[in-house]
Amino acid sequence: MTEVEEMLKFIGVDSDERLFSDIPERFRKKSMNIPLHLSEYEILREAEAIRRMNDTAGYHNFLGCGTYDRIVPASVDSIISRTEFLTSYTPYQAEISQGVLQSLFEYQSVLSDLMGMDSTNSSMYDGYSSLGEAVRMAYRINGKKKVLLPDHIYRSKLSVIMNYIAGLDLKIEFYNFDEKTGFIDLNDLQKRVDSDTCAIVVENPNSLGILDPNVTKVQDVKGSALLIAYVDPISLGIITPPGTYGADIAVAEGQQLGLHQNFGGPFLGIFSFRKEYARRSPGRLIGRSVDHNGNVAYVMTLQTREQHIRREKATSNICTNQALMAIAALTYISLLGSEGMHRVASITMRRSAEIRKALSGVPGIDSSPFSGIPFSDVAVRYSGSREKMQSSLKKNRIWGGIPASDIINHNDGVTRDIYFFSATEKTSDEDIEALRRALEAI
Amino acid sequence: MFRQAAYDEPLIRDMRSGTTYRVPGEHTETPEIPDSLVRKEINIPNVSEYDVVRHFTRLSEMNYSVDTGIYPLGSCTMKFNPKYADVMASWSEFRDVHPLRPQETVQGNLRIMYELQEYLKAISDMDAVSLQPLAGADGEFTGISIIRKYFMDQGTDSERREVIVPDSAHGTNPASAAMAGYDVVEIPSTPSGTVDLDALKSVTGRNTAAFMITNPNTLGIFDGGIAEIARIIHEAGALLYYDGANFNAILGITSPGLMGFDVVHFNLHKTFATPHGGGGPGAAPVGVKKFLEKYLPTPIVEKNGDFYSFKDVGDKSIGKIGPYYGSFMVLLRAWAYIRYHGRDGLEAISRRAVLNTNYLERRISGSFRPSNNSIKKHEVVVSASGTGKTANDVAKYLLDMGMHPPTIYFPLIVKEAMMIEVTETVSKKDLDAYADAMLASLKEDAKTSASRPVNTKVTRIDEVRAARDLELTWNDIHS
Ligand SMILES: Cc1ncc(COP(=O)(O)O)c(C=O)c1O
Repeated sequence: MTEVEEMLKFIGVDSDERLFSDIPERFRKKSMNIPLHLSEYEILREAEAIRRMNDTAGYHNFLGCGTYDRIVPASVDSIISRTEFLTSYTPYQAEISQGVLQSLFEYQSVLSDLMGMDSTNSSMYDGYSSLGEAVRMAYRINGKKKVLLPDHIYRSKLSVIMNYIAGLDLKIEFYNFDEKTGFIDLNDLQKRVDSDTCAIVVENPNSLGILDPNVTKVQDVKGSALLIAYVDPISLGIITPPGTYGADIAVAEGQQLGLHQNFGGPFLGIFSFRKEYARRSPGRLIGRSVDHNGNVAYVMTLQTREQHIRREKATSNICTNQALMAIAALTYISLLGSEGMHRVASITMRRSAEIRKALSGVPGIDSSPFSGIPFSDVAVRYSGSREKMQSSLKKNRIWGGIPASDIINHNDGVTRDIYFFSATEKTSDEDIEALRRALEAI
Repeated sequence: MFRQAAYDEPLIRDMRSGTTYRVPGEHTETPEIPDSLVRKEINIPNVSEYDVVRHFTRLSEMNYSVDTGIYPLGSCTMKFNPKYADVMASWSEFRDVHPLRPQETVQGNLRIMYELQEYLKAISDMDAVSLQPLAGADGEFTGISIIRKYFMDQGTDSERREVIVPDSAHGTNPASAAMAGYDVVEIPSTPSGTVDLDALKSVTGRNTAAFMITNPNTLGIFDGGIAEIARIIHEAGALLYYDGANFNAILGITSPGLMGFDVVHFNLHKTFATPHGGGGPGAAPVGVKKFLEKYLPTPIVEKNGDFYSFKDVGDKSIGKIGPYYGSFMVLLRAWAYIRYHGRDGLEAISRRAVLNTNYLERRISGSFRPSNNSIKKHEVVVSASGTGKTANDVAKYLLDMGMHPPTIYFPLIVKEAMMIEVTETVSKKDLDAYADAMLASLKEDAKTSASRPVNTKVTRIDEVRAARDLELTWNDIHS
């Protein structure tokens, strides 16, 4: 007898069909339009053919604006391929899951240090949803009715925030950037802050790619509003972290910390906050404690905020998160160390500066449309034909030149004719030269 | 006998071998940055690559996983994650791709997404699918947001302020509805765990936006009242939401589309075997009936001739729920799993999962009382009540035997609940060993029970202290 026959016999049925006798005939599926099964060899061959449909010939990459082609150390991929990490789940049974728990505790620690914040949860889905959750958290804390966002926020980021707050009695108001510097217009912002302002969201670098010194001054004008910062975690190797300019909640997209671009996912939502707000925060938190023998042990804590206990009163609905991506980010930061993090950030900035310099002599291109300096995303202004630019880029195997009007919510004098070319530590002299020539050839 | 690895592993900040990983490029001076933005100090451990790798390898050894053994966490569908999917997910052509690359250069990725949309439609009998949501809870939030958009169009959004959930529902259901701004109305289940139709009728009306359920439900029972449920909900003008977390029981057998659901989410990390990653990532595409297609998150993938492209869903769309199109690498793995098993293999999966569940139930039901007598589907909920042990005692015993315990103390409607979902990827021998261990746990004296686990890296953990002293980072460490 086979295993299956033995089991059927033990249960006392002659066929597994009997185990479905509770599903009424009218609901039984008659067909399912999916091909028949394959062997492993065949599925790999099919996938092989599909991967070749992607254009893999050489190219120069200047795409960024939130997702970046950075070096992923081999050890990061190796560690997150450990099947003990890869194929386990949320550490509900802490005693047998100390590996994931200690790793996530270290992630919370390292990221809190990087962000300059007290505490960090063990991960959210991505940067955008983290920002949506941050605004919700601010509303939970002070119940005020208005959130101030930068006028030139990415359209998709704004859309995510709007979905996250659709159920709240909270309205969005926008503040402006200064057209010349590309910085927050502090006067405009100050005018909009009132006693009913729940939170102010600042970005650094901002959606124009610019490092904005005015973010450090927002604490002076914020009144009783909470300050939420959205930052680039790579920039923090060199740029002052949100904790130093009074952020109450700080969030970031963690893709750059050892994750591949992944065609947009999985990513990593970094979510940090002042410790006094821990009980109002969303997501899973790992705490350090001891076991019955007094040995150090890690365990999920403050679970009474979460959906499985608090249900409709939970601080968030999040359950499955991005734990593996958190372990990747932790491994990445651990490998690079303080010096490596500083280097990646400074090389990126140097490359951005070189792009600006190289394009400064190209006719029709203004490579310094703002006086502020870019981190990764270099904004250039070009008032010629978009189609001609794109066809020249394409001909020269350059990917980049995302038009501001495609991704930024509000388009006015600030974003008019702006295109983005983004740098990372991978950007080479040849890449930059190729870009210069392609733009010259328009 | 089982003994988990138990290294005295320090925190990585206490390792000081010095960074060896090299970032390329000559040494660069700090670029010019406005003074107020210069970082004054950075406090990150400087550890050699070999120590980093050893550290995380040792930590990983102190972590149970699906590849280690049976992992029957109820409702989580912890099945074997196929290795061919790992291979594909490591291919640079798929993963080293920026989401904003020109569409003609990413036809392979778009084809994967398109085919997955089609497969999920075929499996669920829904009319359109968005791959964007990032986990089950996110799928629920997306689905409820779609429903809100629909009622806004109907002009009844201000009236339809309630979402109904059964008391057996997973916590994310009420949490997602509340997050989308709805009042949650919880209704009791019948003693056998199905929807109490009278209770449902009494709360359904002009104020109802949706009823969220899963079928088979969290007790592993197929709710035969589903036709009547759909009638009650639809006659009231409300919509029926399907939590697809329990899909592993019904692949190729029945579907939410046939049962009359309007919106459904799939948990790719459950039913379609994408690895759970120690807590994530997941992916939870949402499927809808035709009349809701225009509200889906944007974009979706379409095919014209041989060309795949993104299609803007239009101005009725709820917009974005995440930054791009979903967790592509997770979608790729699910595509591979479905394509590998095919329609025949998928149905066989559900048949085996259900057989395994009923077998295990029969093996233990003499001691552990099942929640009811119906045939089970993907999982069974038993109670430790009356055994002389708590569900926690049994769980800790299982840990000591090197087996992952079931989900315990959920669903809330069963006392001392043990929710067991063994999935199809476990042999009879392992099921027998599991059943034997559960039964043996009852024979121990109270003192031994209370001392367990002893074979794991640590023993029972002081959770009260963790919440009271709140050490969330190494900077918080008190002593
Ligand atoms: C029945 C049910 N619904 C919803 C969810 C939420 O799914 P996720 O954890 O992917 O957000 C789960 C899983 O945890 C579940 O078991």
